[in-house]
Amino acid sequence: MKQTPRDKAILERMAPGVLCAEGFLGDDPRDLSEIIAADTAAVEAAGLTHEQIARSLAAAMKTAMAELGRPAAISEHVAAVWREGMGRIPSPWTGDGVFPKGELGLTDTRTGRTLTLTPLSVHLIAAHGFYQGRGSRYRLEPHDIIAMFELT
Amino acid sequence: MVQPLQPWLIVLLAAGISCAVTTVLAALLIVAERYMVNYGTCTIDVNDGARQLEIDGGDTLLGSLKTEGIFIPSACGGRGTCSYCKVKVLEGGGALLPTEEPLLTAEEIADDLRVSCQIKVRNDLKILIPEELFAVRQYRGVVERISDLTYDIKELRIRLIEPDTLTFVGGQYIQLEAPAYGDNPEPVYRAYSMSNPPSDDQAVETIVRLVPGGICTTWVFQHLSEGDEVTLNGPYGDFRLSDSNREMIWIAGGSGMSPFWSMIRYMAEADIERKTTYFFGAVQRRDLFLLDELTELARKLPWFEFIPALSAPGEHDAWTGQTGLITEIVDRHISDGRELEGYLCGSAGMIEAAHDLLRTKGLTDDRVFYDKFN
Repeated sequence: MKQTPRDKAILERMAPGVLCAEGFLGDDPRDLSEIIAADTAAVEAAGLTHEQIARSLAAAMKTAMAELGRPAAISEHVAAVWREGMGRIPSPWTGDGVFPKGELGLTDTRTGRTLTLTPLSVHLIAAHGFYQGRGSRYRLEPHDIIAMFELT
Repeated sequence: MVQPLQPWLIVLLAAGISCAVTTVLAALLIVAERYMVNYGTCTIDVNDGARQLEIDGGDTLLGSLKTEGIFIPSACGGRGTCSYCKVKVLEGGGALLPTEEPLLTAEEIADDLRVSCQIKVRNDLKILIPEELFAVRQYRGVVERISDLTYDIKELRIRLIEPDTLTFVGGQYIQLEAPAYGDNPEPVYRAYSMSNPPSDDQAVETIVRLVPGGICTTWVFQHLSEGDEVTLNGPYGDFRLSDSNREMIWIAGGSGMSPFWSMIRYMAEADIERKTTYFFGAVQRRDLFLLDELTELARKLPWFEFIPALSAPGEHDAWTGQTGLITEIVDRHISDGRELEGYLCGSAGMIEAAHDLLRTKGLTDDRVFYDKFN
């Protein structure tokens, strides 16, 4: 697919070492629009929207952040720990603003499955349907989020 | 016989030619601006005549000021992502650029603030910057010591080479340059509070906590070694002891220890006997550090109390100290804060929670201090 200058600028900011050490695309061979389209299809197939998924993650993050690093219970089977970080990171999409550093660890206590995300991750899902490229530190599989939060 | 072109093909060809022409023209403009346009000598008036800089036009305002030895805080190295390098441009800045707009609030735009890494010096300018930035210099130093304070926090000691002395006030910070390494194509700068006392002015010490995926902290943790040469600039910031003699509450977590480790040693050296209670929060015992040193200071200094607290101690910690969120501990210790001053350093979440609490204790906002770089 043809890239607009804006797409090119976004991809440049997603590269390793520009906004964060590892970048946002991991080793995913797909281009940005393919990644977003595939994740959008998975979310729609579950009868959900990106906003609904982001809302669940944002609520968990708010609860965990208030504990300043102390483990928090999000639900009967979801535990969370907020790991604080100093400073802020901008979005690869210019104009989105800046987001606090630090990361949230979520664990499904039934399965042991874990998810790791940041405040920027939640924004990227809500605003752009972008769950990051496979192989990146903060890649989130939509079906993992849906299963952990029992969204269907 | 030649077939006439299909209408859809004509439209497609026209669109393609139009795109190609636009791209070529844009490229020509960029090349012309880069290599052919001469803006001549431009004057930058800084702080109403305090400095008059004669510079060759064409560079960014941030770059031009740096060339003249005026360092504006900038974490991203001028890529227009961090929004730290704002300065007030009174004249000559031209129209607000699309790349600046997302980085400025409506109030900042109304207040003539501009993103100095985005605007180019093409004509004379009048700008206003904080006076303290005139004292900022760039330094070369050598890493004298890297020590582990916890599993994810290191202390760096950098001996200064050129210039060899940095005059600062306890609570101020420097910007450390992480050079290009690995996939990181260009240097970036990150702010770190100095942890050594101001009397130790031939070195910079700081406390660095690993940020997962962080460009600078990854470099510190995985690439930087003792003996390496580094570049930094500073000092920055107005986080420091006030001139009053009010009793103080210090609240910190993690690498937020840094400015307080500087300030308490300064107070001890200078015999500033000002009643101070330092609340330091962590999750488990493995997250605490400098406990012995601060406990010893509290034993020696009758006006200083140190209260470390764990929010979720493990059984193996055998913790007998205060337990709870650091805000809960402060809440239990302070009943009336109207005559107190609050000093905060840590993550944005901790600062917000602590500030909210101090307000409920009667501390007015003008008596609560914290660094804005977070």
